[in-house]
Amino acid sequence: MSRPSPDHRPSATPSGRPRLSIPGSGLAKGLAVTLRTMTRKTVTEQYPDTQPDLPPRTRGVIALFEENCTVCMLCARECPDWCIYIDSHKETVPAAVPGGRERSRNVLDRFAIDFSLCMYCGICIEVCPFDALFWSPEFEYAETDIRDLTHERDKLREWMWTVPAPPALDPGAEEPKEIAAARKTAEKLAEAQPGPEEGDA
Amino acid sequence: MNDAADVALRLLIVFAVFLTFPLIVGQTEHKVMAHMQGRLGPMYAGGFHGWAQLVADGVKFAQKEDVVPSGADRRVFQLAPAVALLPYLLVLLAIPIGPGEGAVGQVLDAGIFFVLAVMGVGVLGSLMAGWASANKFSLLGGLRTAAQLLAYELPMLLAAASVAMAAGTVSLPGILHAFHWWWLPWQIVGAIVFFVAGLAELQRPPFDMPVADSEIIFGAYTEYTGLRFALFLLAEYAGIVVLCGLTTVLFLGGWHGPWGAEGLGWVWTLLKTAVLAFVVIWLRVTYPRLREDQLQKLSWTLLVPLSLAQIALTGVVKVVIS
Amino acid sequence: MSLAAQTHGFLTPTGVEIAFLLVGLVTFGAALVTVTTRQLVHAALWLVVALGGLAVEYLLLTAEFIAWVQVLIYVGSVVVLLLFGLMLTKAPIGRSPDADSGNRWAALTVAVAAATALVWVVVDAFRATWIDLDGAAAGSTKVTGASLFQNWVLPFEALSVLLLAALVGAIVLSRRAKATAAASSAAADAPGGRPAEEGVR
Repeated sequence: MSRPSPDHRPSATPSGRPRLSIPGSGLAKGLAVTLRTMTRKTVTEQYPDTQPDLPPRTRGVIALFEENCTVCMLCARECPDWCIYIDSHKETVPAAVPGGRERSRNVLDRFAIDFSLCMYCGICIEVCPFDALFWSPEFEYAETDIRDLTHERDKLREWMWTVPAPPALDPGAEEPKEIAAARKTAEKLAEAQPGPEEGDA
Repeated sequence: MNDAADVALRLLIVFAVFLTFPLIVGQTEHKVMAHMQGRLGPMYAGGFHGWAQLVADGVKFAQKEDVVPSGADRRVFQLAPAVALLPYLLVLLAIPIGPGEGAVGQVLDAGIFFVLAVMGVGVLGSLMAGWASANKFSLLGGLRTAAQLLAYELPMLLAAASVAMAAGTVSLPGILHAFHWWWLPWQIVGAIVFFVAGLAELQRPPFDMPVADSEIIFGAYTEYTGLRFALFLLAEYAGIVVLCGLTTVLFLGGWHGPWGAEGLGWVWTLLKTAVLAFVVIWLRVTYPRLREDQLQKLSWTLLVPLSLAQIALTGVVKVVIS
Repeated sequence: MSLAAQTHGFLTPTGVEIAFLLVGLVTFGAALVTVTTRQLVHAALWLVVALGGLAVEYLLLTAEFIAWVQVLIYVGSVVVLLLFGLMLTKAPIGRSPDADSGNRWAALTVAVAAATALVWVVVDAFRATWIDLDGAAAGSTKVTGASLFQNWVLPFEALSVLLLAALVGAIVLSRRAKATAAASSAAADAPGGRPAEEGVR
């Protein structure tokens, strides 16, 4: 019944005047809230029947785009719990032009992440200078044996195809660094060569 | 022979109602509470929106081991669920759902007294359970149950007495026959007092101090398992059905309705009962639990004076119109 | 009631009379157990049986109203109060070793004397009176109410005054106890605190 305790009643409006409240109005407001919620759509996801609609930056699993990997080992070294295993060997690439120097290249032999150790901090993805690691929203990779949670490069590669396109930037966001750099270069070039353009015009 | 068949049929119908209606209320509570909290509730059992969830629960309860604590008072402990449940079955017998002779399990001369008396007996079950469990939480729950019953029995009786005064009879069908639509505003205070006091007597939220699970686990029912526990739960939902039915009959005019009072009176009764049951669930979802002192204060300083005022009003109006 | 003793004999009892006797025996037995059992809560529960048996007796005599009032007041309220009180004591589950009284013989004497007096008075008063159970209910609410407020209104009012006096007395006693308790511990507690909360915290 209408019995709001004096302690809980808001004593004054922001302007400082005591608020006139009908006894029981707080109780009625509570009832209205629950009734309104009932008429709205529920937020429950019927997961096994329907896949959840996950946001693009969901930290589900880490995917590898191995063409970008140069075996710089930064990810493995930065990993706080040492769950990234990388093996590689060097290959010599014959000179591209006759008489040129031979170049050596790192070739990836093994790239594995032990997801029983991984704590999903995402530092490896942050530090990768060549954008070889990505967050994928894929999350259904539970195993019955903990050793099976160490996933090799082929599996990480499969997850790569589940990585969504990055979300569009906010309208008021700062310009991406690459585009800003490219634009600056273009502007400098335009300033440095004003003549031909005018001549063309 | 015909009489015996008639009695058997009525008992059978009341028993069927007793077994199904509480389950319907329970299932409705599952779904309504879920949607009020933005959830879906049970969706799997039975296939269509989890309609068989409570059946599944019943099967689960039946499979569980029936444990009696070694320190408990065995017989009292085992008897308690029956004492808690049976009174509601008896009360259902006396609630008329339609006009005419056939629409009530048993016509009683002093129907109001019967239903209120027998509902009070149901609380004995909780007390027995609370004491016999040999558990401090159960004992606390039992104490709270008793304190709550003592506080709320009085306003409930007074509110019911107001209706009996208005109708000039204490028989439930008699009250319904005397009902006019303007009793609704006349007795509205009594109706609210009756309903709130009934909720408190059933220990439904926000008056669920005796089973406050965050403080005393599950009050008097802490030590119960399996079917006996299920019987206590069934008693709670049967209590909701009984309380809503009684409020309908006493204050909302039962089978009276804008139309169809002849053949479809029972539909009105069931409709009003269902709406009230929804309100019970709605209140449970909306309000937090009252503290024990707030509970007592609400009864003694608000409900009792209100019900006395209602009785005074009933008396005055009754004298004026006669 | 009608004087129809001629048509009734003790040797040809009707079904109602047999039921009345049996319920009476059960009630008597329950009452005996109530005062002899050493388990306090069991005593209270046997009291429920005894009081319920009385209600059934009223029902058999067609006094429906009195029967339900008996259940409402005694089973529903008095026994609940009794159990409430018992739960506040240290009554153990099982036998209480000290649930015995030194003056049991005095109690027995008083009980037997009271029972004899009552039985004698009732038997003497209603010696050959039989209640006709087949006609209109002799104990219906209407009949009870009419006789209560026409013939017996003075005892009724005297009883209500007695109850009111008891009520006022109880309040006075409890208030005085609280006043002395507050005075003894006034140094610690702020006066005017909410005493109702003390039971909770």
